[in-house]
Amino acid sequence: MITFNSVSLIYPHSLRTVFDNLTFTIDEGEMVLVIGATGSGKSSLLRLINGLVPHHTGGILAGDISVDGISTSLTKPGGLAHLIGIVGQNPAHGFVTDTVEEELVFGMEALNFAPDVMRKRVEEILDLLSLAHLRSRSISTLSGGEQQRVAIGSALVMHPKVLVLDEPTSALDPIAAEEVLSILHRLVHDLGLTVVISEHKLERVIGFADRIIAISADGKTEIDIPEEILKKSAIAPPIVHLARALNLDSVGTSVREVRRMTNHLRDFAPLISQPERVCGETIVAINKLNHVYGEKVALREISLEFKSGEITAVMGRNGAGKSTLFKSIVGFHKSTNGQIKVLGTDPTQLHGRKRLSTIGYIPQEPSDLLIHPSVAKECAASDRDNGLEDGSTFAFLIRLTPTVNPEAHPRDLSEGQRLSLVLALILCSAPDVLIMDEPTRGLDYQAKSLLVDTLVSYARNLGKCVLIATHDVELVAEVADRVVFLADGDVVADGPTLDVLLSSPAFAPQVAKVMSPAPWLTVKDALRGIAQATGKDSNG
Amino acid sequence: MKTTTGIYQLSLQSKIVLTISSLVALAGFLWPFFYVGNLHWIFVVAIAASAFLLISEVGIGSIDAKSIALLGVMSAFITLLRPLGAGAAGLEPIWFALIIAARVFGPSWGFLLGITSMATSALLTGGVGPWLPYQVFAAGWIGLLAGSLPQRFAGKLIRGAAEKVLLIVVGIFASFAFGILMDLQFWPWVLGSSTQLSYIPGGALSENLTRFTTFHFASSMAWDIPRAILTSVLIAATATPFLRALRRTYFKAAFLTPIEFKSAVHIKN
Repeated sequence: MITFNSVSLIYPHSLRTVFDNLTFTIDEGEMVLVIGATGSGKSSLLRLINGLVPHHTGGILAGDISVDGISTSLTKPGGLAHLIGIVGQNPAHGFVTDTVEEELVFGMEALNFAPDVMRKRVEEILDLLSLAHLRSRSISTLSGGEQQRVAIGSALVMHPKVLVLDEPTSALDPIAAEEVLSILHRLVHDLGLTVVISEHKLERVIGFADRIIAISADGKTEIDIPEEILKKSAIAPPIVHLARALNLDSVGTSVREVRRMTNHLRDFAPLISQPERVCGETIVAINKLNHVYGEKVALREISLEFKSGEITAVMGRNGAGKSTLFKSIVGFHKSTNGQIKVLGTDPTQLHGRKRLSTIGYIPQEPSDLLIHPSVAKECAASDRDNGLEDGSTFAFLIRLTPTVNPEAHPRDLSEGQRLSLVLALILCSAPDVLIMDEPTRGLDYQAKSLLVDTLVSYARNLGKCVLIATHDVELVAEVADRVVFLADGDVVADGPTLDVLLSSPAFAPQVAKVMSPAPWLTVKDALRGIAQATGKDSNG
Repeated sequence: MKTTTGIYQLSLQSKIVLTISSLVALAGFLWPFFYVGNLHWIFVVAIAASAFLLISEVGIGSIDAKSIALLGVMSAFITLLRPLGAGAAGLEPIWFALIIAARVFGPSWGFLLGITSMATSALLTGGVGPWLPYQVFAAGWIGLLAGSLPQRFAGKLIRGAAEKVLLIVVGIFASFAFGILMDLQFWPWVLGSSTQLSYIPGGALSENLTRFTTFHFASSMAWDIPRAILTSVLIAATATPFLRALRRTYFKAAFLTPIEFKSAVHIKN
């Protein structure tokens, strides 16, 4: 269905070869996953398929790419629109109309379909993606998973033979991601659709993929079945790391497989592997907080305390009230009913440098904080705002990411570098409480481990209070001491990470699912736990 | 060499249509000074018809996806700005955006932006009526003018403070020109026939010109001056970041970037 024949690509204004002599064939009805570090060219590969690269971006393309027999060098992207559906990372960026039905029809109108065909196709897609009950809803009121389903629907309605998805689940909570992926799986199996998908959170997609295209940083590319690629790939989900750490003969791609391979390891009595943590004084105190948006109650009688030296993860569905809670702590909502004290002060009363050194807030879209045209100017402005010595913010940034180019435009940085820049800007004033909303969106494993190290050292070594809202259970397992679970504006669970994550299978990290009932959340925990247990065995 | 599509340029045919329809529109503005007869309404019809013709001509012309996306976003932005000023006392916060955007994206695109933003914002402010084609043409011309300004002077790029001054001058000119054009359009209808400033059908050119000038200064200075001041202030305040953001967009959109298709060879450098 898709053939790449000795494809090489160079972008204009850059001397780097993105791909070098890339050859592969994707058959009809295959689901192929593209993996690689940020900036390795995953998005370029996806956009090569429908010719957006190089027809829209410019560049030198050597070799030949054909989709269903049509060569992309001879046909403009518009000529492939009926054949290839494309879905972006953030569905909201792609929507052009207000309601679900209109959005589904839009593409067909552009391609001049007859009205009766359109009507039939819309009904068909509404059923196929279980969107019928949402047909007249305004798109902006849908949840993330529903929006992504609408985006997929509006691509599928044109009956493409190929569906290309660029990180379709990275903005979704685990359950919504599951919902989107299982629909894709069904489309591949029922309709013989060819799907090419890129994703950072491998643990979510690995079980669905027939083959993987792995792009390494130097432009080398491999395509093979998941088991083979994952044996050596540096980019791998936690269960693969676990299998490697335990020296298992083969790596498994699903919890079930690895669980069968590790039967002999789970005979030990469960151990408490999380050390008790001693936390400092209360930094944030929330007392009976309520917040209402119009009719909708976003937070209901929330009372929580957050202490210094503690990393707390706030979890819950999209729309559960996580962002509202954070914005209240930051002091964005003046009209909140209830009481919030940050170090004894109402956060709405904090201003200027006092505010910078008390609360550091990184919103869901970290680039919202970036307003200057270069990294160097961003850092200089931060030095000025915080009254720091010249160059101290940049020095901080260099420690996080040594290769950053100070002259680069902040929006041209990779996701990981951009997050480092924002972290440097916020952390250089050493705020007592650091608040991050969805920090791992779009981050690869490398950037994520940098984030983990930064957060852990900030909380442990400097004794600061860190709050993160996230859907990423693997991140929570790695960093958090405590988890607060929100649902519909209520706190439904609040306790040590171990207890909260293990009590619900949907939110348990992969390692915990494999090792259950042993209470181990990460590969490190599991190794330590097994070492302790076997040590005991040999003693006894 | 093959490249990606450039930003929208009027084709030769579109230029001819633009010239003819602009002449019709000009006649539609200036008829009180030369037309003798009773069929005044014919000019209103003619200008509306030429606006339609022009829009359909440039619409059918090959406008590429990226230009139209830019046009859509900027028109939407300007449309949202328009109700902010409500048009009262000439405080129209749309001209600075039109002028700055046209400066970056060129005359053809600037002309289109003038037309689309004026037409779409009319729907929000309830300003659809016989005056709309006049406004559409006036805004199109202002976009065309702002886009045609030279990028270089004596071999040097006009950037920074010099560019800001240039744009402010255009802003002031546009504010007054728009005021005069709109007055011309509505002067013959508004006063009735009995006042000292009324249009005299078939009257002498000098007489009508004097009456119009007096009418314009008496009635519209209170609109034109605030409009010019607001536009200048907004250009002065926003030009630097606004131009920077739009130029970055222009660069990122990769207009006229070379594309090469080679046979499968090793292109590692």
